[in-house]
Amino acid sequence: MRMSSIVRNSSRLVSPFLVAYGAYLIIHGHISPGGGFQGGVILSVSVILLITSHGYKAVRKAFSVRLVKIVESMSALLIIMISLIGLIFGTYFFNFLRGGEPGTLFSGGTVVLLNILIGLEIGAAFTLLFYVLLRWTESD
Amino acid sequence: MIPLIIVLPLLFAFCGFVVSAFESHENHIKSIFLMGIFSPWPIFILNMNDYPVETVLGGWSRIAGIELGLGMLNHYFILGSLIVFSLVGVYSLSYFEDDGQKDGPIPGKRMFPLILLLYSGILGSFLTRDLFNFYIYMEIASISSIILVACSNAEGAKRASYRYLMLFFLSSFLFIFSIGIIYVKMGTLNFELIEQNLVMSREIKAAIVIAFVAFITKAGVFPLYFWLPSAHSKADTPVSALLSGVTVKVPIFGMLLFLEYTSIEFLTVPLMIVAFSSILFGIGMALLQSNVKKLLAYHTVSQMGYVLLGVATLNVFAAAHYAFAHTLFKAGLFLAVGVLISKQGTKDLDDLTSGNNTVLMFSLIVLTLAIGGVSPLIGAFGKHEILLGLSGMSFYLFYMGSIGTLVSFIKLDYKLFDLSVKHLGKFIPSVQEITAFIMALLTVLFGIYHYPKFNLLDLALMGIAVALFLLFKHIDLFEKNMPHYFSRDVKGLGSEINLYTSIFVLVNLTVLIYVLY
Repeated sequence: MRMSSIVRNSSRLVSPFLVAYGAYLIIHGHISPGGGFQGGVILSVSVILLITSHGYKAVRKAFSVRLVKIVESMSALLIIMISLIGLIFGTYFFNFLRGGEPGTLFSGGTVVLLNILIGLEIGAAFTLLFYVLLRWTESD
Repeated sequence: MIPLIIVLPLLFAFCGFVVSAFESHENHIKSIFLMGIFSPWPIFILNMNDYPVETVLGGWSRIAGIELGLGMLNHYFILGSLIVFSLVGVYSLSYFEDDGQKDGPIPGKRMFPLILLLYSGILGSFLTRDLFNFYIYMEIASISSIILVACSNAEGAKRASYRYLMLFFLSSFLFIFSIGIIYVKMGTLNFELIEQNLVMSREIKAAIVIAFVAFITKAGVFPLYFWLPSAHSKADTPVSALLSGVTVKVPIFGMLLFLEYTSIEFLTVPLMIVAFSSILFGIGMALLQSNVKKLLAYHTVSQMGYVLLGVATLNVFAAAHYAFAHTLFKAGLFLAVGVLISKQGTKDLDDLTSGNNTVLMFSLIVLTLAIGGVSPLIGAFGKHEILLGLSGMSFYLFYMGSIGTLVSFIKLDYKLFDLSVKHLGKFIPSVQEITAFIMALLTVLFGIYHYPKFNLLDLALMGIAVALFLLFKHIDLFEKNMPHYFSRDVKGLGSEINLYTSIFVLVNLTVLIYVLY
């Protein structure tokens, strides 16, 4: 079903703001409510909104299934890598970037990096799930 | 260093996912898979001499962080899963060969990373000393095994996987509810801290009961075994070996954690009843099966009863040793039978034959004696330790179980060994047969290492078993077929799961009322 141009244009307008909001939640995850998971879900919602308005086929051209798969597994791999670096400094998952004034943006150390990766992982995973479920109803 | 035991397989699993997203050659994934499978071995061996090893992730204090520990409690669980995964890993390289056929097994490209994920989930749940962390690892292991079952091309695999999924989540929800109760009452989920501050209130007792019923469901013990026979028999052979050998030990390890760090004396009577009914029921059902994988799956139900008996007699090491023994011989049996199934394309006991395959025949005989608990093979040691805690009536029930297991496996051997067949030509053992053979050899070696005695009683049991086998054969018991109670469509599946859920709730309520009032 083809959505009306009002719906398509407005969702095209809203989507970038959703991405910005998701990124904000992810980056400020360690000092405010939110975090990697919540921000990641909003990131994937921005893609899912485009799917509902523009159809699966059009969105798949921009975000191909393979790209989503690679982002999903790469970010999981990088999470493990970061936690492995901690092993050099003593223990596994050691926060080797400690420092900064508590409560400010630059105080989380590796937590911020992990939050960003978790956000990417969750966003890609939810998008992938939506793709997989849409495969059975290929029509737009 | 011990977190690496979990992390390295996980790292290689995600490497596998990344590599399989690119159109890469199958050999790349195979080598990543093998590296992942063998990577925990050096760390395990390096830490073996200075038990107990304990570490808290991130360098935090025990109150805030997640504790991992390696000691005598989990030594046998980890050793068993390392052995089984290594051998099954080698076995599955040739099993998941992409032969270009549409109805052949799913190519390894998709299976190998999932098997590694299962591996790290299982190792994680054996290493952790934190209740919530244990739950997370158990979920990783169970979700990947549910997907692995669904990947099989056997008829009814999707249905089996769905049943598995529903019962696993049902028990997981109640398990996390019980974790919540424990957290509210104790303020911590670290087992060492729980042990130090333990006050056995009614709430804690209720939480432990709910957790144990969830564990019993996940271990596939009798009143809540429904998902096990279909899931273990419909999966691909290497996956069946992993599920039956290792995955069902994860909830048993959870029980042992509770047994070690809290007090479960109030649960001994219900656990004893459940364990004995599971032993006898599993054997009874196995005797009626003609599908060889289903027969082995029902024996898992009965063998888990033995492991539970170790828990019920509050003997941590009996349970751990018997679980280790079961890990080795059940995985070996699935691998040995799987060779025949993939060669002859049938799972029916009447059609399968071992032909002149001497290596496989030898491995099958050794493995069946091991599962029957004949000394000096590995099963005897665990059974000997469990027997120490039994007395009176339960003593005889235990031997009845041993005889029943032997009868069922004499039937298996009798049907498989057809010595008249000579047309199969010269026999050259393949990698798959050699892995099954190594598994059989390990049951002998570990058995002699742990319990180097020969028990004359075993000979008497064997004699009774042979006599009973001949009697059952005479009255055609083995030819009886089980009726199907549910229709094969989606509606039948729905009512099946409704029934299972109500039995699950009923068991939960019964044990809760017994313990609290």
